[in-house]
Amino acid sequence: MDDEPMSAEESLNLIAQQNRRTRRELGGGPARMLAAWAFAWIVGWGFTYFATRTASVPGWVGGVVVAVLFVAAMVYTGYVSARAGRGIRGPSKTVGAMYGYSWALASIGLSVIDIRITQFGTLSSDQVSLLWSGTWLLLTGVLYLAGGMLWQDKLMYGLGAWMIVSAGLSVLVGFPANFLVLAICGGGGFLLAATVYFVREKSR
Amino acid sequence: MSDPLPQLDPVIHAQARLRVTVALAGLRAADQITFPRLQQLLDMTAGNLSTHLRKLEDAEYVEITKAYEHRTPVTLVRLTAAGRAAFESYTKALHQLLDATGGD
Repeated sequence: MDDEPMSAEESLNLIAQQNRRTRRELGGGPARMLAAWAFAWIVGWGFTYFATRTASVPGWVGGVVVAVLFVAAMVYTGYVSARAGRGIRGPSKTVGAMYGYSWALASIGLSVIDIRITQFGTLSSDQVSLLWSGTWLLLTGVLYLAGGMLWQDKLMYGLGAWMIVSAGLSVLVGFPANFLVLAICGGGGFLLAATVYFVREKSR
Repeated sequence: MSDPLPQLDPVIHAQARLRVTVALAGLRAADQITFPRLQQLLDMTAGNLSTHLRKLEDAEYVEITKAYEHRTPVTLVRLTAAGRAAFESYTKALHQLLDATGGD
């Protein structure tokens, strides 16, 4: 049954079919993960901004919403990449794992620095807010620059560059508009990148 | 005719082996895939997949490595450079055939 003769056309169809299947199973691309982060950033930081504008929502609620959304996005990203990488060995697995650990290591390092500076109490709460938004956008940008280099992906590199521009912008506009920069420029950047990747996947 | 119709590589030109080759070509060069994951990508029985992998291995299109991970034996499969090249010329030949027959 496997050795039935195939016409050139049947053969090409079979190739296209198996290619789609393989690509879907092996993860396809970063569109879904970026969409999860877009959601977390837009909703989380958007809500935080809203909380600074109204007295009806205590400030800490924004922090809780952001934390919950970010943990959810992290879990989702971890799950999707672990699933796609099942049974694969070799350079791309190593690179992917190193990239994932880079996010974890850099985030822990930056948290220690930002928490320590916040605890000195010499900065006003508005300035503390700028410290956090600026440094986290910068870190995000740098790691996407690294991702762009690793996978020779200009779109990812562009996303990194955009995040660094947003980092600068967030400290220039000041509190509380920095949350708007996080939601619109940061989250919007993720959303735009996710859309481009999604369109590319569909058109292949 | 000055341009004879290309021959299709018989090692690749069989449904099951073509699908195995396509799946393996979907990995990045130098990456390997475990036997069970490959089986899952193809929906093939272990016996069927082994048979076709052996034929591809005989043609040196595929490299099969046995290794141990945490004391568990794993079989790793990868497309060789020759296999990737053979797959590329195979698809090129398909397109030439289609052009020659007017695509029907």
